[in-house]
Amino acid sequence: MIQKVYDWLDERLDLSPIWRDIADHEVPEHVNPAHHFSAFVYCFGGLTFFTVVIQILSGMFLAMFYAPDIVNAFNSVKYLQTEVSFGYIVRGMHHWGASVVIVMLFLHTLRVFFTGAYKAPREMNWVVGVLLFAVILGLGFTGYLLPWDNKAYFATKVGLQIAEVVPVLGPYVKHFLAGGDIVGAETITRFFAIHVFFLPAILLLLLGVHFILIRRQGIAGPL
Amino acid sequence: MNEKPKQPQTSETFGETAKTKDEISRRQFLTYTLMGTGGFMASMLIIPPLRATLDSVLQKKQEEPMVAVADVSEITDEPKRFTFTLTIDDAWVKNQKTTFTAWVFKSENGDIMALSPICTHLGCTVDWNSNPKYPEEFFCPCHGGRYSKDGVNIPGTPPSSPLAVYAYEVKDGKLYLGKLISRS
Amino acid sequence: MAHERNKNDVKYVGDSRVKVRKEKLYPKPYSEYPGKTEPFFPNFLLKEWMAAVVFLGAFMVLVVSHPAPLEATPADPNDTSYIPLPDWYFLFLYQFLKYFPSGTAVWGAVIIPGFFALLFLLAPWLDRKPDRRPSKRPIATSLMLIVVAGIVFLTYEAVVQHKAQVEAMEASAAQHAQQAAPAPAPQDQGTTATFDPEAAYMQSCSACHGQDLAGTAAAPSLIALNLTVDEVVDIITNGRSGSQGVMPPGMFSGTEEQKKQLAEWVLSHQ
Repeated sequence: MIQKVYDWLDERLDLSPIWRDIADHEVPEHVNPAHHFSAFVYCFGGLTFFTVVIQILSGMFLAMFYAPDIVNAFNSVKYLQTEVSFGYIVRGMHHWGASVVIVMLFLHTLRVFFTGAYKAPREMNWVVGVLLFAVILGLGFTGYLLPWDNKAYFATKVGLQIAEVVPVLGPYVKHFLAGGDIVGAETITRFFAIHVFFLPAILLLLLGVHFILIRRQGIAGPL
Repeated sequence: MNEKPKQPQTSETFGETAKTKDEISRRQFLTYTLMGTGGFMASMLIIPPLRATLDSVLQKKQEEPMVAVADVSEITDEPKRFTFTLTIDDAWVKNQKTTFTAWVFKSENGDIMALSPICTHLGCTVDWNSNPKYPEEFFCPCHGGRYSKDGVNIPGTPPSSPLAVYAYEVKDGKLYLGKLISRS
Repeated sequence: MAHERNKNDVKYVGDSRVKVRKEKLYPKPYSEYPGKTEPFFPNFLLKEWMAAVVFLGAFMVLVVSHPAPLEATPADPNDTSYIPLPDWYFLFLYQFLKYFPSGTAVWGAVIIPGFFALLFLLAPWLDRKPDRRPSKRPIATSLMLIVVAGIVFLTYEAVVQHKAQVEAMEASAAQHAQQAAPAPAPQDQGTTATFDPEAAYMQSCSACHGQDLAGTAAAPSLIALNLTVDEVVDIITNGRSGSQGVMPPGMFSGTEEQKKQLAEWVLSHQ
């Protein structure tokens, strides 16, 4: 049955080459931990992506329980954390995942740097990777405010204060992020929108480019 | 390679040796393991959030208190609309005052009936005696649903079950209403 | 193509509008190299997923055993005693900024971190030699090691300083609570001449201005102030709002005489 549906689609859309390219490409020995255990350092990129998937999944479920509003934000987070069974696990996945993403990303970056994998012809993928790093830090910064407790509030206040230091653009950046002169109602809705729509959209786009480039250029050879 | 023509080409492209019908190739074995591992990981990730989203369904309903709605003396044979307020906890919005409506009247045998105004068709609000074409009936303006005075749906109109009734009790000359009882 | 081609000939690929380029930098696929390669699906992916299962198991154990922190009450913008702390991965930037006095904050916040970020982004063009081994490109390697060590150090410092600040804050809060308690007030500050301005400073001021008066992220340095004793007493009493935030009034609650002594002590740090 599935085979028939696939054949029908493949006849028209020529799907096979797409997944065949991904499925059948040969993975070299030097990145395979089964051959050299030290090759586990090549896993960090995959684990970063895996954690990003956890973040997207847990984030989508978190959004079902979250009200981005100064009155309700904290209460909705607290409700999920304390009253919904398994709620603390959903929130915990997103909370700890945020830290794990940074750790994995850091390790992945160091691996790429120290193996010199960014050298020609892979310069562009390094640039995309650095942009991804920035986007993920942005996700961390905007997500930190959302629980709306004192920790979240004052850290954001400090962060925006720092943004204001930027010459010329600073006040505008701060105003764009905060939506006003104070960290308040409009700040939380903006941070929420940036955290769940703007940055994830950019993230997915860059991730797509990152993967396409890896596939096109192949992974860097052994040292 | 002397295989049945139906065999998909994949095993050939990888130079697998011929198999009898019951054997599976190494590639297939790996694929099944992969699917198992993937399924295990997916369920580990999806079960906690799914359980959390279904929590409100699985949680025991809190017992609704009986609320004084009207003096018994106010109740006649003619359905009359009464509103009453309940303080409910709606997830993180605690102590929220919510207003409910009931059509209350004395039926022929003297029992009090308190009907929910929610049409059992698609949830619009029914009104008593509001359509001149159908006097002495509950009428739903959305799709022309009709109910007789005791809340039973009139055959041939959209609703398929009678209006729900409130549990009630009379104490010290006052009518108390409780939870809704569905009659479908 | 075996035969010679004229340099000016244009050869077209399938779509006649797209010219064939002569050379591409795409590396050869690994199937052309010797060595134990294996197909991505299912062989290699299975190994990756084995690692992923172990990783996910450990992650879920962490999640289940350590609920994500959440404070007991929602944000209170008027809470003057809260010491802010960014998420741990921003701590190094936060700490770095502390080393820049108010006028030069732009260096600590933008210029220097921005310079490093730019170096980082442009690494492939700065480190161009084809050799990839870390030992063969000492500048890149050592620079990165220094930066990583710096980040670790700054993060550590930030944590240590934050801890000290919170402890000082809690100690002073406890002290305040003790003073507020009506019953035992025999050696309340100031009834006698035993008032010690340094102790009072440590109690009431050091949480924000730092134990060495050099200032923190929360408040400016008090060293070498260009103020008179009366002006300082006025700031202690009524607070002040300046470029570095607001000092609330009544942070030190003693007699006028004690405030004066405290002010003199602060101004003695030149």
